[in-house]
Amino acid sequence: MKKQQKTKRPPGVCIPWQEKLKELPKISGDKELVQKVWQNIDALGYMYIWQCLLSF
Amino acid sequence: MAKDMEQLYQQRLKRYVAAMRNEKSDMIPIRPFVAEFTAKYAGYTCQEVTHDYEKAFAAARKCAADFDWDAVVSNMVYVWTGLTEAIGLKYYGVPGISIPPTTGFQYIEPPEEKAFMKPDEYDQLIEDPTGFLYNVWLPRVSADVSAMGQPTSFRNNLSFLKGGMAMLTYFNAFGKQNELLRTESGTVSAIAGILKAPFDIIADKLRGYLGLVTDVLERPDKVLAACEALMPHLTHVALSGADPDKNVPIGYWMHRGCVPFFSMEHFKRFYWPTFKPIVEEIWAHGHQVLFYAEGNWDAHLDSFAELPDQSIVYHVDHGDIFKVHKVLGEKFCISGGIPNWLLATGTPADVRDYCKKVIDGVAGNGGYIMDASAIVQNDAKVENIKAMTEFTRDYGVY
Repeated sequence: MKKQQKTKRPPGVCIPWQEKLKELPKISGDKELVQKVWQNIDALGYMYIWQCLLSF
Repeated sequence: MAKDMEQLYQQRLKRYVAAMRNEKSDMIPIRPFVAEFTAKYAGYTCQEVTHDYEKAFAAARKCAADFDWDAVVSNMVYVWTGLTEAIGLKYYGVPGISIPPTTGFQYIEPPEEKAFMKPDEYDQLIEDPTGFLYNVWLPRVSADVSAMGQPTSFRNNLSFLKGGMAMLTYFNAFGKQNELLRTESGTVSAIAGILKAPFDIIADKLRGYLGLVTDVLERPDKVLAACEALMPHLTHVALSGADPDKNVPIGYWMHRGCVPFFSMEHFKRFYWPTFKPIVEEIWAHGHQVLFYAEGNWDAHLDSFAELPDQSIVYHVDHGDIFKVHKVLGEKFCISGGIPNWLLATGTPADVRDYCKKVIDGVAGNGGYIMDASAIVQNDAKVENIKAMTEFTRDYGVY
């Protein structure tokens, strides 16, 4: 899509993983698991506000 | 699941999808977008189906079971006001609270000076649409959410908790509803996902119609940049809710971006260049878009004809369905065109005559879906909806 803007907060994201990662201590376990769960739940926050705008 | 009910479902799905691909099947599919009509038919008030989605679901299923329809929207009374009240949204007229229980829910647009987004806030929206919605817009549209920098409150915290949990509960309930439609009556869920145009949503929920009218004249570059900033988000939301099987289309609700609400110049400068790429992107993912052309969009048919073959289904409200068929019929499926006023005030004979006129004019080569012009509310007569259904079944066989 040529016209789209490059935003700091891309579609589907409220708090980017890289931003959250800086707040965490060094992850000793499965980093990908932590990232995946963070992003999946963060996407619900995104859905909430955009559904408020578009559907409700 | 009874085997014959599943067979009926598959037959209807095939018929519905074939028409949407602008092809001819065994007969014309019927897919009425029935909203508050379902309440009237099932014996509920508007308040009951708007405030208790289980009743809305039950009413939709009762209509699907009693009428020979191929597809319905799982709940066309889509706005569950239990949810909107939990969030504290101010812009609804809620049946049984602020409007009579027998009236369908209403959107209430604030006066221009109280628009939910101020004219000097475009840069904030453009820079970070999601942040703007949470930090600026939501506190203004919710009676409970505190503005940034203001003290938080019990009601603020509860708005997010209850709103989030209620929204997820509601969305998850659609899975069961769609399954029940399939197993109880063999009915297809007609659409999946939601899309609105950037320009429309700025008028609907941000600047208001009058605010946007001013903005296209006084700050046109900001309006265009805001539309462009919204594009990737609206595309993402649409694709997130789309049918994974790619059978049914994403619903696109068209509001006030057309002539005469705006000029053709404004449509071509703001609306179309920031919406057409969204449809093309969605089509590239294999999903159709249902253009629910509320009002009259006939002035823009040549623009819509630029879209790839089969990429959309075009629903006709006040437009001239015969003109639409002439301009778009070679490329796209058409639906609707039976006037709501006729369903409310006419006789069954009037309805049959009108259905015949539409079928004769646009359905000869397939690619037509029978439906009312606009969402059917509780003013439609039951006998007229029956006449539309039964006539189409009798006369609409290929």
